Amino acid sequence: MSQTIKLEVVTPERPVFSAEVAEVQFPTAARGYYGILPGHTPLMTPVGDGLLYYFQDGQRHWITVFGGFAEVGPERVTILARESETVEMIDLERAEASRQRALKLLKEAQTEQDMAKAQAKLDASLIRIQAAGHPSGHGF
Amino acid sequence: MAGLQDIRRRIRSVKNTQQVTKAMKMISAVKLRKSQERLVALRPYAGKLLEVVRRVVGRIKGNPEIVPGPAAQAFLAPREETRIRVVLVASDKGLCGGFNANIFKAAQAFLAESTSQIIQMDLVGKRAADWARKRKLPAGRTYVNLNMTGFERAVMEISEEAAGQYRDGEIDALYVIYNYFNSPVAQTPTVFRLFPMEVERRAEERDVLEVAHLLEPGPNEVLETLLPRFVETELLRTLLESSASEHGARMAAMDKASNNAGDMIAKLTLTMNKIRQASITNQIIEIVSGANA
Repeated sequence: MSQTIKLEVVTPERPVFSAEVAEVQFPTAARGYYGILPGHTPLMTPVGDGLLYYFQDGQRHWITVFGGFAEVGPERVTILARESETVEMIDLERAEASRQRALKLLKEAQTEQDMAKAQAKLDASLIRIQAAGHPSGHGF
Repeated sequence: MAGLQDIRRRIRSVKNTQQVTKAMKMISAVKLRKSQERLVALRPYAGKLLEVVRRVVGRIKGNPEIVPGPAAQAFLAPREETRIRVVLVASDKGLCGGFNANIFKAAQAFLAESTSQIIQMDLVGKRAADWARKRKLPAGRTYVNLNMTGFERAVMEISEEAAGQYRDGEIDALYVIYNYFNSPVAQTPTVFRLFPMEVERRAEERDVLEVAHLLEPGPNEVLETLLPRFVETELLRTLLESSASEHGARMAAMDKASNNAGDMIAKLTLTMNKIRQASITNQIIEIVSGANA
């Protein structure tokens, strides 16, 4: 069995990431984080919003994922994300501005729907800000 | 005899027009490249998604113990089409050859043939909106002057609403009429049933050999989340195809127009020179006969 697993992240806009990695951890929509090691049993599941972690040369790296779908096989993990960015792609200023806007919207929200929309926006901006900084949340 | 001055003026005017058409051609070439890039970037995603949908549907089909949920029903047993929703994709601007005319012809043929009732017609592009208004079709959402982010918004709105309507039994199918992008110079008007989609289970040996995928939380839940993604992706693809086709068509039309302008200038220049020559000859004759007298 090979010691690495191929991680591929694609969005409708572009292929975001593709490389051999040692381990993948991604957030699922329904059941929290899944950790995938080489030789994992085939699996398909919806992906949630958050940071996807992968391990390469003993180092932990991460990229953002927002919704979508994961297909896992023994030798590869394919993430079909609605949106996804590597750390280099994140514009911290924009994310911060988006956070401020979301907070304002959240205060002004009248209906449940507006509230949910603003909350989703806030979550997305927080994930981006976390990704650009040092994620302290999950795992290690 | 048409005056020299008149012809000079014509030539200048044709030259101006040629400059405009040349510029438009160049702009279209740039826009075409952009649309094409997006289209190419979408392909791996769309292909992968279709593959995953196929597998999940295949699993549900292949296992009689799984009761297909509402989403699976849409794939497995399409309802009879009595009421449909149609998305017509054309362009905002003209000057793109037969691009709009062809798509309207296809739309007209589809409307004439279709036995089902058209509940709603979504229109992308100003030309489409004008066309539908003239024919008094039941207009739904109308989108004009869309850019790339606009595309995504339109796709989101249409697919969400259509999925809801399908669930509630208001519509039985969603059709898209758009220009398929064959190459920068060739477009095919296409009528495409986006939803419900007939997904064939391909007899893949790989599937048999491989351990079947775990579907978590469950096959139906998985399909439930897959379906909207799939519809969105396909709809986005049609919009991008149409956009690439439009720019391709415009580029071809403008190239032709520039060539025609060039021909016209050549012809006018020839006539002008002939007239100039004639007047010089005349003057010489006058001078010579004057000297003789």
